[in-house]
Amino acid sequence: MSVARRIAAAAVAALAATPALHAHDFWIVPSRFHPDPGTTVAIGLRTGQNFIGDAVRRSDIAIERFFVRQAGRDEPIAGIDGADPAGWLRADGDATAILVYRSRPSFIEMPPAKFEDYLRLEGLERIVDIRHQRGTSGSPGREYFSRCAKALLAGRRESEAVTRPVGLDFEIVPDADPTARAGLFHGRLFYDGEPLAGALVMAMLDGDPSARLSARSDSRGGFAFALPRPGVWLIESVHMVRTWWWFSRADWESFWASLTFEAPGRGAAGGTASRR
Amino acid sequence: MKRLMIALTCLLAPAAATAHEIGTTEVRLTIHGDRTWSASITTGPLSLLNKLEAEAGLPPSRNLDQDALRQALDHARNALAQHIDVRFDGARSAEAVSIASLDLPADITRPSLVVISATGTVPSAATAVTWQYNLAYSTYAVVFLAAGRPPRTIWIEGDDTAGPLPLAGVMPPTHLGIVRQYLALGFLHIVPAGLDHVLFVLGIFLLTTSLRPILIQVTAFTLAHSLTLGLTMYGLVSLPPRVVEPLIAASIAYVAIENVVTARLTPWRPVVVFAFGLLHGMGFAGVLKDLQLPRGEFLPALVSFNAGIELAQLSVIGVAFLTVALWYRDKSWYRARVVVPASLLIALTGLVWTVQRTAAR
Repeated sequence: MSVARRIAAAAVAALAATPALHAHDFWIVPSRFHPDPGTTVAIGLRTGQNFIGDAVRRSDIAIERFFVRQAGRDEPIAGIDGADPAGWLRADGDATAILVYRSRPSFIEMPPAKFEDYLRLEGLERIVDIRHQRGTSGSPGREYFSRCAKALLAGRRESEAVTRPVGLDFEIVPDADPTARAGLFHGRLFYDGEPLAGALVMAMLDGDPSARLSARSDSRGGFAFALPRPGVWLIESVHMVRTWWWFSRADWESFWASLTFEAPGRGAAGGTASRR
Repeated sequence: MKRLMIALTCLLAPAAATAHEIGTTEVRLTIHGDRTWSASITTGPLSLLNKLEAEAGLPPSRNLDQDALRQALDHARNALAQHIDVRFDGARSAEAVSIASLDLPADITRPSLVVISATGTVPSAATAVTWQYNLAYSTYAVVFLAAGRPPRTIWIEGDDTAGPLPLAGVMPPTHLGIVRQYLALGFLHIVPAGLDHVLFVLGIFLLTTSLRPILIQVTAFTLAHSLTLGLTMYGLVSLPPRVVEPLIAASIAYVAIENVVTARLTPWRPVVVFAFGLLHGMGFAGVLKDLQLPRGEFLPALVSFNAGIELAQLSVIGVAFLTVALWYRDKSWYRARVVVPASLLIALTGLVWTVQRTAAR
């Protein structure tokens, strides 16, 4: 069967079978993950699923924080409101830089079945259980969601800064600079500055749908992936809490943490202070 | 405390709390006057291809140049068509999909975009259209365009449905719609708008209570005004309104005065009614021209308009018969107390109009 026919046949089947999910992942895609010092890097924002995403236009009203941490300081990422790419910067290129995006909360309401489909997909079965216990399984899912995305731009040497939280509400923090180490990825989840246990974490490799890994964070928020191949990886997790309902029109508040980076090949196995 | 702060933020800043992730996808849905629709979908080309590839269980393409990407999208256009769901009154419209343009700029500060073109037909009698495109993951705008309407922009989330958007006034009416519309216009042109024609018909009716003379006159009048209505509309005959309108008024006065003078159908009466019918037909044509007859539906509109006039005339006669003649036609005083005073009143009105319309030249 030709590629075109496979795509056509799959489209018909997918229309009937795939649950359409409103809640999508969100991540940062720089134009280059290994920029040379002094080069301009365009910063794209993406929303989608399975590491296939639509470009998101910059919306100043939706941005709470959007900055780069490089050369020991934080700089806002400049851009044009309404434009894609959402911003650009001049890469320092010396040590690994951290791109940080934190959105303001957005409201979404979903039919009950759709809401619970997405909760299960993101490993939030405990929310399904709570809704069941409270007798609200038949109610629409009303939530505020916030994006807590990070990306790493590799420099000439690795950076200790990537192993420290940048202060997002929900955050994926590597134990070591993953742009310099092949193979194992060790990281921790932090919610509100504290380690978060029991959260589902997923890792996806760009361009290879078969490379999809998942783990649950341990009691110290830790998790680990054996990344099978080099390339651009997305690590993501979703955390959901009850809102202070008497203040809010939503029942739930979700935080979408992501980390994108390019993992090196096997030759870059850990411990090096300088890579070039 | 942080949760309280977030809750307060959401409460106090509703604009921020409802901000959506707006993508680069844009849709322009146009309804054309020739019963076709077209849509242009502007979106990211690689992500579009990757979504279709993912559905087919294929690995996502990477590092394609402009030609390769265009070729891949072109091969996938049948699959893409499955995701474009345009419905009229709930029934899905089949569409043809093509790649209109593809732009992969070398400048990293500019986005890559592909424009997909979809076209289809609008069913006759369609009243509303909906749009759904389930390959968008972000919020996007659907701009709805239709002739004679200002553009309407609707923001929708991912695979949500836009609409239904009403098509009233956008689509040209169907044959049946044209017939209905011009039938009504013809009727309304007589009742209540055409008092002069109503008085003429009443003048025909008042001559006698016998059915046969009335039928002869009505037939003569109908044949005559149908003839000149058609000939005038096709541009074969023409008389200026300043001539036609006073003569129509004079015709009203004539039939009414003849009703006073005689109570029977004279041999010349059908001929005179026919002649006056020719004038009335030109008057109807003037009205019909003002209504801007649809070019493609000229004959059905013309025939329907004429039929509406006939219905109105028969209604006038029917009402007059049922309310007056049916009850009093056999009374000895019927002619003296009904026919003559009513005819005099009609004649007077006709004369006044004749003077007025002549003076108005």
